[in-house]
Amino acid sequence: MEIKTDQEAKLGYWLILPTVLAIGGLILYPVIYNLWLSLHKVNMNPTQPNTFIGIKHFIEILTDVDFWTAFRTSILFTSTTVVGTTLLGLGVAILLNRKFPGRSLIRGIILLPYVTPVISAAFGWKYLFNPVFGMFNYIMVDVLSLMPQHINWIESPRYAIFAVIIFNIWRNFPFAFLMILAELQSISGTLYEAAEVDGATGWQKFKHITLPELKFVIGALVILRTIWNFYKFSEIYLLSSSVEVLPVYIYEKAFATYSFGEAAAISAILFVFVFGFILFYVRKVLEW
Amino acid sequence: MVGKDSLRSKIIFVVLLMLVLAFVLIPFVTMISSSFKPNQEQTQLPPKIIPDNPTLEHYQGVLNPDIFPFLNYFKNSLIVAFFSAGIGVVISIFGSYSFARLEYTGRSVIQRGVLMVYMFGGVLLVIPLFQMISKLGLFDTRTSLVITYVVQTLPVSLYMLGNYFRTVPESIEEAAIIDGCSRLEVIFRIVLPLSAPAIVSVFIYAFMIAWNEYLFASVFINSSSLRTLPLGLNQLFYTQHYVWGRMMAASVLTAIPVIILFLSVERFITGGLTFGGVKE
Repeated sequence: MEIKTDQEAKLGYWLILPTVLAIGGLILYPVIYNLWLSLHKVNMNPTQPNTFIGIKHFIEILTDVDFWTAFRTSILFTSTTVVGTTLLGLGVAILLNRKFPGRSLIRGIILLPYVTPVISAAFGWKYLFNPVFGMFNYIMVDVLSLMPQHINWIESPRYAIFAVIIFNIWRNFPFAFLMILAELQSISGTLYEAAEVDGATGWQKFKHITLPELKFVIGALVILRTIWNFYKFSEIYLLSSSVEVLPVYIYEKAFATYSFGEAAAISAILFVFVFGFILFYVRKVLEW
Repeated sequence: MVGKDSLRSKIIFVVLLMLVLAFVLIPFVTMISSSFKPNQEQTQLPPKIIPDNPTLEHYQGVLNPDIFPFLNYFKNSLIVAFFSAGIGVVISIFGSYSFARLEYTGRSVIQRGVLMVYMFGGVLLVIPLFQMISKLGLFDTRTSLVITYVVQTLPVSLYMLGNYFRTVPESIEEAAIIDGCSRLEVIFRIVLPLSAPAIVSVFIYAFMIAWNEYLFASVFINSSSLRTLPLGLNQLFYTQHYVWGRMMAASVLTAIPVIILFLSVERFITGGLTFGGVKE
């Protein structure tokens, strides 16, 4: 029997080896290599050697106004989209948590924004946000008169952030919806029946039964969405390249001005910030 | 929550449902409708959903290689997505069987290490990976994209397959081993055939991720002949020759394969999503 366990373990190592090599070589090594790059003046040609300059990049970045502007834009984008996707997902999940004809079809339709390729969805929204003939301006200005005039949502640096936030909420609320709906469906109906016998109102039932049951899934959604949206690049850049969140700032530093070392240092700062947030959130908010 | 089914609450429900559906569907409706509108109708106000004179000219334009290299981009996306998904599935079949059924020291450390990947977004990896890819001489090759995409999809694929493998009754596997099968034979003859739906779903999940990816493609690919769909379409948008109807037709044709694939395995993938969350 002893030999067999040894063999099993050996096979286990062999089977997991490709995964370990792939993740080690293409995730863990690059993360460490990124730190190394951030301490160097990186040659524009990747085959040429780099010069060590210590923490010079970090000092430059932390005293650079543009960095802090991008940082604030990232915070604004992430906080509004995390709240927006979670609340809309929660609302729609509660709405659909009942039996009605065509429910599974509608659930499938609601998932479409999440599975459509970003490039297609971004083009659709660009058209909607068009300053001259876009539906969005038409409805807001000509139909509802909520705004005085048509706005160039995509290209104006001032308004593009709102377009990007709306697009992100549209695209990602279905994920929150799906997770919350699954959790709602697992809450036992007897809890509500007992509450009704005790004369609880709809709001009381929601506050004392539904919300506590959803605490874990909403906590998980908030942390995942925060991490993902802090790193979000394509959904922002493909809709409007004038919204300079940190990932877009890093991308342009690296691949438009070829300041690889500086860009590597900014990504290191971004990672430390996200990691710090995770630690804080897990300890203080989730109390794990 | 089963409320009292009064007429008023029914009406509120239907109105809210319509609002949600309108919000979800408006971009799709716009896209499809504009792809059939002739150019002079594109700028009409108020925007019409059904075109007055529907036309197929934009689809013909998109599919004509002399006007628009759409088919070439489509082919590149297909090759990259197919190979990333295929290689990813093979690696995760072995890896998740190892996690699900075999015992060895360090297993839980490795499992947690795989989950760590969640903490590193693509934007943190793109600079070091670009340097590595260039040093390895893989810059401007499809291979650079395939190896990157395989790793990006591994955590979720391992998770989804591992969960499925654990539902295969261990007694069947033990009986086969007593009958003289080796572990590898058990994997190929028993576990894989029983897990076919899960394997197809994981393949489709990885395919969709690769089909969708823009960041790495924009950095690793230089030649226009190697561009994938997201890259090619986005670059065309910034040339002065773009035509709205044609861009919308291209968007529709880019989305259709993915939506069909997703709908074919919707139940399985959404099950996997709700249990594990999914890496974006």
